[in-house]
Amino acid sequence: MAKREKRDLIGDAPYGEYGRTASEILTPEGVILPFINATFGERVGALVIDILIMIVVPILVLIVWLILPLEHVFEDNKNKALASFLQIIALFFLFFLRSGYFIFFEMGARAATPGKRAMKLRVISQDGGRLTPAAVFTRNAMREVELYLPVPLVFVMVAGSHSLGAWLAGLWALGMLLLPLFNTQHARLGDFLAGTRVVHMPKASLSYDLADLESDRGLGISFTPEQLAYGEMELSVLEQVLRERKTTVMRAVAVKIKARIGWVDPQNDAPNDESFLRAYYGALRAHLESRMLLGKRRKDKNAAPV
Amino acid sequence: MTDQPIPHTAAPKPVLRLKSQKFREARQGDWRALSSQLDKVEKRGLGSFSIEELLNLPVLYRSAMSSLSMAQSISLDRNMITYLQALCVRAYVYVYGPQTRLKDVLKGFFIHAWPSAVRQLAREIALTFTIFVTGILAGWLLCSHDSSWYGLLLPGEQGSRDVGSSAAELRKTIGDGGDHALSPFAVFLMTHNVGVAISTFALGAFFGLPTFALILYTGITMGAMVWLFAQKGMGVEFAGWLTIHGTTELFAIIIAGACGFHIARRLMFPGDASRRTALAEAGLLTGTAMIGVAIMLTIAGCLEGIGRQTITDTMVRFAIGLVMLTIWCLYFTGVGRGKAATDRFGKSGDA
Repeated sequence: MAKREKRDLIGDAPYGEYGRTASEILTPEGVILPFINATFGERVGALVIDILIMIVVPILVLIVWLILPLEHVFEDNKNKALASFLQIIALFFLFFLRSGYFIFFEMGARAATPGKRAMKLRVISQDGGRLTPAAVFTRNAMREVELYLPVPLVFVMVAGSHSLGAWLAGLWALGMLLLPLFNTQHARLGDFLAGTRVVHMPKASLSYDLADLESDRGLGISFTPEQLAYGEMELSVLEQVLRERKTTVMRAVAVKIKARIGWVDPQNDAPNDESFLRAYYGALRAHLESRMLLGKRRKDKNAAPV
Repeated sequence: MTDQPIPHTAAPKPVLRLKSQKFREARQGDWRALSSQLDKVEKRGLGSFSIEELLNLPVLYRSAMSSLSMAQSISLDRNMITYLQALCVRAYVYVYGPQTRLKDVLKGFFIHAWPSAVRQLAREIALTFTIFVTGILAGWLLCSHDSSWYGLLLPGEQGSRDVGSSAAELRKTIGDGGDHALSPFAVFLMTHNVGVAISTFALGAFFGLPTFALILYTGITMGAMVWLFAQKGMGVEFAGWLTIHGTTELFAIIIAGACGFHIARRLMFPGDASRRTALAEAGLLTGTAMIGVAIMLTIAGCLEGIGRQTITDTMVRFAIGLVMLTIWCLYFTGVGRGKAATDRFGKSGDA
């Protein structure tokens, strides 16, 4: 992926969420698809859920084992083969939880562990290609140096002595843990080595269209082109305000807009804030979209009018 | 989801609508169809699709993609664009997702990806092997020089096999007679070894230094143990016990070390590629080799579990170990050479 300049036009802002960054992937159809990078918080959240599962599941199994009335089955070295078989199962189970859990779930069709699924995350290949088993193995093998080795080391060292070793282990663990904060895609060491990224997969729903020129015409509100003095950024904020429909917010926005465009309410039958804003939204969108068809776009109110 | 009731005034004139609204009305049926198909995939998998639905999926996907690329240039309806982006992203990961069948994945791995990855690691394997042999020599020489080194190098072995142990005690540890073949101990060793191999590999990310230390230490402990058994005149027996599973196990550990050195090398000297690309390439190559290492260690675990109990003749042990070594060498050097690069395993597909 070539590094692209940050653009703020509506069509380019990932899912209209200006605060988040996206990895753009060029599909074979030639469409640029933005994949929202998972935030650091989401990644930590997913990890915490997964680790909790990895800790709680063996405890539950142990409790079930203790509850089951099996004492006399194994006393006096009876059923020795069964006992060793169960031991083997237990060893494999623990091994799976420790080393295989992440790999198993990420090789599946959803490419996400239960924790990631809960946070609506997914692993993808950074070049947009297939996510290969080798990549999944590598990114999870690196957990060894990112998590499994340094973290217990920190505890051991801190409990034992405040020596140089404790500080080094602490620095190591901290560096590995915080690495995702120092790149825009929030990738950890394993992601870099495997060429993978973790992305957020929102499930957006298609809402109704806000622009309703028919009823606006019925209201008799119209604006001159000079009054449509905003850009795409403001339009999308206005859309959000209208979809949330909070009375106080709509009032504040309406007052701001009226002041900026020098709007005078008609004497009788003045429109309420919502109808005014909807009418303004419809008119502004019609204006900007008609210019857009000619290739002229206005990013925000500070850009030159089109 | 549905249109909110908005008071419509009766208008005799044609309905006034934006181009983007007409666009949306014409196409939203397809989008919703795709969305419900994707829900179905996510819930029940592709297996539940009829042939007709399967053939229709890419059509719907392309239509949504073209809608998105068009919407981005004619519409400013943020909700619609957001919806389309999310829909296309969801569809993309399924349409271009892992399509290969398990059979093809396995074939690609065993016939091509694994041996070719090991071949590409040849230089690192040579380096690791040298370090390992140096370690063995060092361990032997240290202990033969001063036997107190043994207790220092293998502190965990006190009691079972240390300098004071008699030949009979030592013989017991290399297994003459056990009770059952399905020993949980072999499984424990195997899972433990896989863990060690993964650490050896992953620690390569610290410029290879911990990997170097781990490999050297493994060599030293082995050299020390060989010395101990040779002291009591059991060198050949010990070598036989070691060979039966060791040729596979140590080979695997050496490959794991080589993988660690490989990522260290690509990290420090990425060559012509950018460091990011170099690391990604190295990660895929070593990931493939490491899956192979896990397989090798499983085989070694089985050999150890069986060999420890059932095969007690030293010569047979030697024979099995050497046959395994020959098989591995032939496999890594010979299989999948000169094949068309239809690598369906390690490298990502046509992107």
